Amino acid sequence: MKANLFFILSLIALTSICDTISQIFLKSTINSLSFNFSWHLIKFFRFILKIMLAPLVWLGLFFSITSLCVWLFVLSKADLNFAFSADSMHYIFIALAAKFFLREKVGWQRWLGILSIIAGIVFVSLS
Amino acid sequence: MFKKKITPRMLAVLISTDVLETFTHLFFKKSALPESALQIDNLAGALIFLKAVFSSPFLWCGLVMVFLVFIIWSTILSRIDLSVAVAVCSFSYILVPVTSVVFLNEKISILRWLGIVFILIGIIFVAASSKEKIEGRL
Repeated sequence: MKANLFFILSLIALTSICDTISQIFLKSTINSLSFNFSWHLIKFFRFILKIMLAPLVWLGLFFSITSLCVWLFVLSKADLNFAFSADSMHYIFIALAAKFFLREKVGWQRWLGILSIIAGIVFVSLS
Repeated sequence: MFKKKITPRMLAVLISTDVLETFTHLFFKKSALPESALQIDNLAGALIFLKAVFSSPFLWCGLVMVFLVFIIWSTILSRIDLSVAVAVCSFSYILVPVTSVVFLNEKISILRWLGIVFILIGIIFVAASSKEKIEGRL
């Protein structure tokens, strides 16, 4: 049972990392487009089209699909509550990756918020 | 272009993607559930599992949701930081227990309430630390 738990946990870490990579690719593509939202439909469709034609986004999609396959497998083996609470580790991955690859300013206030959210998720899933 | 504190409208959009995403996960769970007895120890087993899952209508409903969420999510990311958007989307951990109290009359333990309070405080901290990119008027 213990080995099984470790196996499931490492699979969840794998989905989190794949998700983080695809989010970073998507966000860096969107940053490079410097789009300003308006209700102008043509501009909006052009924005969505540009995203969908970006190679980085497709690479991100590959990671998303990998993540989805592993996630489906995890869900068929583990409890939804447990899977979701362990998946909360991706908040840390996202914050670290956003700080180092996207140069987002993640200050103490945001770290405190993220840690509080993770603590909350663990409490919710423990009960 | 200037930056200002995250707007209530942006928070509402973030929460709505969150709700859609919760449905996505429910659809995916529903498509994977009947295959839990399957032994997956080699590639052939994995292929059989994937074939069964992909023939489920629930998976396709989930995939349509994923595309919808992708469009809304891209719009959100054009305005705010990734580390903020992802953190605020933890709102579903509050939404699911609270709706189960309101609609299903379920009881919530003290520990779970504590967890909800922690998540809420976390979201407030993260939202307070962020700026939203605004061009002209909304």
